[in-house]
Order: sequence, then C-alpha cells, then structure tokens
Amino acid sequence: MSTAPASQAQPASPPDESIRVLTVDDSASMRALLLAALSSRGFAVEQAEDGQEALEWLATNEVDVIITDINMPRLDGFGLIEKLRASALHAERPILVLTTESSDEKKARARNAGATGWIVKPFDADKLTTALRRVTH
Amino acid sequence: MSAPLKIPPTQESSAAPVRLTILQGQAKASSDPAVEMSTILGSCVATCLFDPRARVGGMNHFLLAEPPEHTRSTSFDRDYGLYLMELLVNEMLQLGAAKGRMKGRLYGGANINPDLAPIGSANAAFARDFLRREGIEQVHEDLEGRHARRIAFRPASGLVRCRTVSRDSAPTQKPLARPQSAIGTVELF
Repeated sequence: MSTAPASQAQPASPPDESIRVLTVDDSASMRALLLAALSSRGFAVEQAEDGQEALEWLATNEVDVIITDINMPRLDGFGLIEKLRASALHAERPILVLTTESSDEKKARARNAGATGWIVKPFDADKLTTALRRVTH
Repeated sequence: MSAPLKIPPTQESSAAPVRLTILQGQAKASSDPAVEMSTILGSCVATCLFDPRARVGGMNHFLLAEPPEHTRSTSFDRDYGLYLMELLVNEMLQLGAAKGRMKGRLYGGANINPDLAPIGSANAAFARDFLRREGIEQVHEDLEGRHARRIAFRPASGLVRCRTVSRDSAPTQKPLARPQSAIGTVELF
C-alpha cells in the first residue's frame, strides 16, 4: 500500500527546535522584511521597535539570538548591547548588529560593547540565516 | 521723502548657495541654510524629508531595479529601496532630526515611455508605501505622469521647487544595480 503522505513522513522542524530570534528595529518596513525572511526559513521571530522595548521584553523572556539595528529612539543598539551584557540573563546571548552604518569606528564600538557580529544592510537572507545558525550552534 | 526700502536678508538669500547634486543611489542630509540639493528625475523618485524643529532636511534619489535572483517574488528590488530610505533617515538623525517630526515630499516616478512597463509608477508606489508604514507624514507629491522634473531642495528650510523639464534632460532611465558593497556582508567578531 501507499506510504504516508510526505507531510507526515518528513515533518517540518517542530516548533521547539526552531531558533528563536528577537529582531530590534524602529523601521516598520524593515521589521516586515525581517519577519518574512526569517519565518519563511523556519525561525521563530519576535520583534521589538527599539532598544527599550527589547530590554523590557527580555527581562521576562528568552531567545536564542538577538538582531539589532543601531539608530533607534529611546535606547539605541549600542545601549541595548551594553545593558544586556551587564545583565546576568543575557551576558552570553549572541547579538548581531544589522545596520546601514559603514564606519569602522561604529563597528569597533559595537564590538567593544559586546556584539557578536556585524551585518551590513541591505541584508542577504541566506547569509543572515547562516550567521544565525552559526552563532546559536 | 520716504526711507529707502530695506529688505532684510533672509537666511537663505544671505548665503551663497552651496549646490549639491543628488545622484541615483545617493542619500544626503544637511542643516546648512546655504545648501541647495538638486536633481533631475525621469522615472526615478526623489524623497525629500524635513524636520521643521531641527531644521534638518535630506534627499535621496532612486530607481529600483528588478530584484536579485535569490530574493523573493516582489516585482522589483524593495530591499535596496528600503536601504536607501533608511540611509536618508539615518543621515538626518545624525544631524539632530527626529523621525516622528519628519515630513515627506515625493517627486518623479514618470512613465516617460508609454510602451514600457510603468516602472515610474512602481517606484512612486514604493515611496508612498514607505512613508505610510513608517508613520512619516506625506505633505506633498508630484509623481508619475509623462514629464521629467528638476527638483531643488533647501534642506534647512524644507523648501522645494519642482518644475517639468524636457525628457532629454533627464538622465538615463536605467535602474541602478546594487553597489558591490551592498551585499549584506557578515562579519562575526
């Protein structure tokens, strides 16, 4: 007789195996782009509009990796990284900066604040996916 | 006898203008009253943003191309458009502007050749959509149609002059390919 349907024989990654990503960006357009790119590649995506909202959310929630913009109101990406690195819960959390900034000075500042990596916009979804898997491995 | 009429110099007229041409793929911002940004648009779109409190303005200029092969099914390269919009916003933030105070004016997006796909309209729709999604008030647009336009923008006052020009004076309508640097480079520390 016929075998089980493909959907049963080859299940998609169950939700508990998905890598949980928090994206932090004040641009609604960029959030929509990241949500579409990452959820279609199997990531579980949470989103915050700036560093302050991310910090408040992260006080009671956990993720596997954080992707943050630099230029944001209230609390920018540098501030967010510094505050997370000072917290017990997120001191070791991988944090990738995703930015239009191209200056070496800003990159060095992110690195010194404790960022895990630096990704230049416009991002390539496949390269971003590879980076996310590598830093959460 | 009446006193001679004295016209007080305004900020704009007192300074010799510093002219900046904004080319396709560029985004620049300034708070200098002497600066006048200008560009000529065919199917390309220019976004002029202005923060009236900080008196900071900026302009970008783009014509979005078909997307790279690996990207999704959108009809053109929205990702690159978003990047150029964000570049403009960030240039202004660095000069003290706030996104919530910015006002947007959109120009260009003409469909100059009626026999070709309306790439100007597609770019105009992208720009309108961006402002709406980002909560930036769109206070004016002069978009689409069949005519090329020349734009002159004073970033420190937000003043824009737009006039139609001969289509021959518009630059090439070729969409800009992404620069080599814009490939989403990843660097892990």
